[in-house]
Amino acid sequence: MNRRHLHVACAALLALMCAQPQPALAYLKFGVPANGRQVTLKWAQTPVRYFISTQSAAAGVNASEFQAAVARAFATWEAVPSSSISYQLAGITAATPGRDDGLSVLGFLNRPDLDRVLASTSFLVDRVTGALVESDIFFNASFIWSVDSAGAANRFDLESIALHEIGHLSGLGHSALGETELREGGGRRVLGAEAVMFPIAFAAGSIAGRTLKADDIAGISDLYPAADFEGSTGSMSGTVTKNGQPVFGAHVVAFDPAKGSLVGSFTLNAQGQFSINGLSPGPHIVRVEPIDDAEVDSFFDANGVDTDFRVAFSDRVVVVPRGGDSGPVTVTVVRK
Amino acid sequence: MRRFSAAVALWGVVALHVPAARAQSTGADPGRIELSAGALWVGHQALGSTAANETTSTGTSLRLFSTSSDLAGAAGFEGRVGVRLSHALVATAEASYSKPQLRVSITNDIENSTAVTALETMQQFMIGGAVVWYLPYRFSASRVAPFVTAGGGTLRQLHEAATLVATGRYYQFGGGVTHLFASRPNRRLKGLGLRAEARAIVRQQGVAFDTRAHLAPTLAAAIFARF
Repeated sequence: MNRRHLHVACAALLALMCAQPQPALAYLKFGVPANGRQVTLKWAQTPVRYFISTQSAAAGVNASEFQAAVARAFATWEAVPSSSISYQLAGITAATPGRDDGLSVLGFLNRPDLDRVLASTSFLVDRVTGALVESDIFFNASFIWSVDSAGAANRFDLESIALHEIGHLSGLGHSALGETELREGGGRRVLGAEAVMFPIAFAAGSIAGRTLKADDIAGISDLYPAADFEGSTGSMSGTVTKNGQPVFGAHVVAFDPAKGSLVGSFTLNAQGQFSINGLSPGPHIVRVEPIDDAEVDSFFDANGVDTDFRVAFSDRVVVVPRGGDSGPVTVTVVRK
Repeated sequence: MRRFSAAVALWGVVALHVPAARAQSTGADPGRIELSAGALWVGHQALGSTAANETTSTGTSLRLFSTSSDLAGAAGFEGRVGVRLSHALVATAEASYSKPQLRVSITNDIENSTAVTALETMQQFMIGGAVVWYLPYRFSASRVAPFVTAGGGTLRQLHEAATLVATGRYYQFGGGVTHLFASRPNRRLKGLGLRAEARAIVRQQGVAFDTRAHLAPTLAAAIFARF
C-alpha cells in the first residue's frame, strides 16, 4: 500500500498543519490529495477503533485516569445526535503515538522541545484511495495535567484537550471562532471561544473546553451525518468581496439569533466563496472578519490569505431553509 | 384554541344578555351577511434582543456582538365575511395579508464594527375569526355605531423567496365604529358603509427570537356591504 504520513494538527497553544482545507465546506474539514484528486479526510468505517498506549501516565494523571478522561471525550463526540460517528476502545498497546503501525493510539510523549504544543494528532492516509488508515494522538508529558472534575489550577484539563484532538482524529480542522489577545511573553491568551476546535487552548485550570459548541456539532455532523441531518438543517453560501475583488481566507460566521448559536467557515477559493452546512433553519446574521486571533497557518496554508479588512456584517437577514441553501449572500468588506 | 373558544363563548353570553342591543338600522332588517374589504396597518413588534456570545475560560460569556430585532409596521389588505347572529352580534371569518420587514440591529461588536441593520421582507398571512358586538349606544348621527371585537386565528409568515415558513397563532381585541353610507332594508344590498377600528394583536410563535408573546397595535379601515 502506497501511504503517506500527514501530520495535520496540533491543538492548543500552537498549530502546525500541512493538509489542504477542503474548499467551500463548513468549518474546516481536512482534504488530502489522493490519486490526483482532493478527498475529504474521514473514516470510511465506524466505530473508529482506538488503542490506549501503555505510556499513558504523566504528571498529574495515572493510566486509568487517562483512559477514563479520554473515554469521556470520545463519548462527548459520540453523543452528538445529528452525527453517526462512534468509537471503540480496542485495547491497550505497547505502541506509542506517531508510529505508522495501522493502530490509532493515544498516549503521552515527553516533548519538551514542543513547549507550546499540548497535544497533537497525526494521520496515516492511503494515498491512492484517500482513506484514513490510522490516527494517533500524543499528549505532551512535559506539561502538568489534570483530570479533576472541577479542573485544577495551573494544570491543563486532559478531557478538554482530548476532546479537541479527537475532533481532529475524526477529520475536523480548526475553527476560528475565538477571540485572543497577545501575551507579553509571546503567544496568545484566549478571551473567549465558541468552538472546541479553536486552535488555542483555554488557560491552565479551565474546564470550559469540555463542551461541544454549535460549530463543532455542525462540523462532525457534516462529516458523519445521521439519517435526518441534511433534511433537518440547511446551508448558507456566498461570496466575500473587497473593492469588487474576491477575498481569500475571510472568516465567515453565521449567527442564529433564535438559538444563540455561532457556526463559522472560510472563503477558501479564488472566487472568495464560502459555504456553511449544518445550520439551524431560520434567519441568520452573517459576520465576516479577518483571521487575526490565531496564526493563519493554524487553519490552512497562509499564502494569499487577506487579513487587511475590517469586520463587516451582511445587510441582509439571511434565511436558511430546512434542507436547502440560503441562495447567494454577498458581503462587501473594506480595507482597515 | 381552548382559550379562543372560551372568549367567543363569553362574548356570546354577554351579547345575549343585552336586551336593548340594537343594530345600526333601528328596527329594520340590517342584513344577515356582511362582506368587507379594506386596508390595515399592523404596527411595530419588538422581537427581543440577543447577543452572540463566546465562552470564556471560566465559563462566562464574552459578547461578540449584540442584536435587537423587530418586525416593522406594515400596511396590508384585509377581507372579512360576517354572519349576523343577532341584532347586536356578528361572527366573522377574516384574512389579511401584509409584508412587514424583519429588522435586526447589530451593535456592540467586539471589534468596533460599524453598527448595521440587517433587513428581510416577509409575507404575513393571518386567517381567523372574531365576534363583533355592536354596543347599545348610538351617536347622535344615527348612522354611526360603535362596536367591540375579539378573536384569533393562525399566522403564517413566509421568509424571503418563500424559502421558509414560520407559523403561529394570534389573538386580537379592539373596537371601532361603522358608518352606514346608505341603508336599503328592502333591497338585496341592504347597506353600504365604512368600518374603522383599532385592535391589539397578540402574536405567539411565528418569527421570533424569544419565547414571549408579541403585541402589535393595528388600525384598519374597510368598506362593507350588507346583504
